[in-house]
Amino acid sequence: MLNRAALSLEQAPPISVPLRFFLTAPLFLLGAGLLLLAYGPEALASRWSPVTLALTHLLTLGFLGMIMWGAMMQMLPVLAGSPVPAVLGASGVSHLLLGGGVVALVVGFLLGSPLALSLALGALAAGVGLFFLVVALALWRAPAANATITAMRYALLGLLLTALLGGLLLGRLIHPFGALDSLRLTNLHLAWGLLVWVGILVLGVAYQVVPMFQLTPEYPPWMKRLLSHLLFILVLLWSPLYLFGGNRLAALPIVLAGLVYTLFALTTLRLQGRRKRRLPDITLDFWRLGMGLLLLALPAWGLGLLYEGWLLLPGVVVLGFALSVVNGMLYKIVPFLSWFHLQHRKLSLLGGGGPRVPNMKDFIGGWTLDWQFYLHLAALAMLLLAVTGWRDGAYPAGFFLSLSALMLWYNLFKAVRRFYQVRSELEQAIPG
Amino acid sequence: MEILLDVSDLEPCEPLERSLEAAGRLAEGDYLRVLHRREPRMLFPLLEQQGFAWEVRPKGPADYAIYIWRRDDRLAREFVHQALDADQAC
Repeated sequence: MLNRAALSLEQAPPISVPLRFFLTAPLFLLGAGLLLLAYGPEALASRWSPVTLALTHLLTLGFLGMIMWGAMMQMLPVLAGSPVPAVLGASGVSHLLLGGGVVALVVGFLLGSPLALSLALGALAAGVGLFFLVVALALWRAPAANATITAMRYALLGLLLTALLGGLLLGRLIHPFGALDSLRLTNLHLAWGLLVWVGILVLGVAYQVVPMFQLTPEYPPWMKRLLSHLLFILVLLWSPLYLFGGNRLAALPIVLAGLVYTLFALTTLRLQGRRKRRLPDITLDFWRLGMGLLLLALPAWGLGLLYEGWLLLPGVVVLGFALSVVNGMLYKIVPFLSWFHLQHRKLSLLGGGGPRVPNMKDFIGGWTLDWQFYLHLAALAMLLLAVTGWRDGAYPAGFFLSLSALMLWYNLFKAVRRFYQVRSELEQAIPG
Repeated sequence: MEILLDVSDLEPCEPLERSLEAAGRLAEGDYLRVLHRREPRMLFPLLEQQGFAWEVRPKGPADYAIYIWRRDDRLAREFVHQALDADQAC
C-alpha cells in the first residue's frame, strides 16, 4: 500500500474555493432573519405564502446550498483522490450563479415578478447544471468508493432531482402548464431535497468528520455500507407511489426513511457519548442539538399531519437539524483548512524552518463562538413556538437569527483574516 | 532505528503537526512508526512535499500504523521493510 491514495497538492483546490462559499452563506442566513423580522407571522403563514417560500429558499439554497457546494468541492480531492475538473472556474461561476439565482428567486417571490423568477430559473438551472457536471465527473472518476463517496453520489442525484422538480414548479409559477398536482410535486421536491440531497450528504460527511474531529469511535461498518443505499431506495420507491397513488400505504417508505434517520441520530449521539476527550467543544454542541432535532423529526411530521396549525413544524425541525450540523461543521472545517494550507505554504517556502503555523484553535475560538450557539438556539426555539401557537414568535426568531448570522460571519471572517496574516508572515520570513 | 509516536488520542491538527515534526527530526537509518486512529490522508501530500516516503498498515477499523522514512535513506527503508515483514508474520 505504498503511497496509496496520495493526493498531490496541485490537486487540492486553493482555499479561496471553499471560502467564497462559506463567507457568502451567512449573508443568506441574515437575509432569512431580516425577512422574519420584517414580515413576522406572515413569513410562517402557510406553505404557499410567497414570503414563506422566500424564507425557506434563503435557508436551503442560500445558506445550506452554498456551504454544501463549497464543502463538496473541497472534500472531493481529499476523500476520493479525484479532483473537481476546472475547479477555479467552475467554483467561481457556480458560486455567482447560485448566489445571484437565490437573490432573484427571493425578489421574484416577494414582488411576484415573473421577470425575476425567470432570471432565477435561468441562473439556478445553469448553476446546478455546472455544479452537477463537474462534481459528477469527479465522483464517478474516483478510483475507490468509500461510504462517503457513495453517499455523495446519491446526494448529488438528489440535488439534480430536487432542482428539476423545483424548476418545474417555478416554470409553472411563471407560466401555468401541465396537469400534475402542485401540492404533490412540492412534496416530492421537499422529500428529494431534505431526505436525499441534504440528509444523505450529512450522513456521508458525518462518517468522516464525527470520528475525526470529535474523537469518537467509527460508525458501525454495516451502517456506513447500508444506510445511504436504503434511504435512496426508500425515497425512490415512495415517489411514484405518492405522485400517482396517494393511498395511505404510500407513506410507508417515508416513515421507514424517518426511522433510518432516527437510527443515525441515536448512533451519532451514542458515539459522541463515547468520545476520547471530554473537553467542551462548540461543534459538538451544534451536532448534539442537530441530532436531537433529527430525533424529533418523525414525531413532528406526525404532529404536523394531526394539527392543521402545526403544518410547518416538521419543516422547522428538519431545517433546524440541517442548519445546526452545517453551522457546527464550519467551525472545524474552516480552521482545519486554514491550518493545512498554511502548513503547505510553509513547507514549500521555508521547508521545516521558519515561524510556527498556529494551531487550529488559534483561528477560531472565544466567547463569540458560544454566543453564536446561544443565539442560534434562541432563534430555533422561537421558530418552534411561532409554528405551534405563538405566531408573534416570528419576530424574536428573526431578531435572534439575524444576530446569529452576523456573529457566524464574524467568526468565519476572523479565521480568514488570521489565515492571511500568517500567510504574509510566512512570506516575509523567506531568507534573502 | 524505530521512533514510535502515538497520536491516536490527539485532536486535529495535532496528529499531523506532531508527525511532521517527528519526521523532520529523523536521523539517517531512522524511521517513524505513527499510531493513528484514522488513515491521515491530509498528511501524505505534506510528507511527499518534504521528501518522505510512507507506508500504511491498517490494524483495525480505528487503528492504523504509518511508517515514515526519508525517501533517499536506503538504510531506513530496509529497516521499515524488515519491520513490516515481522509485523506480517505476527
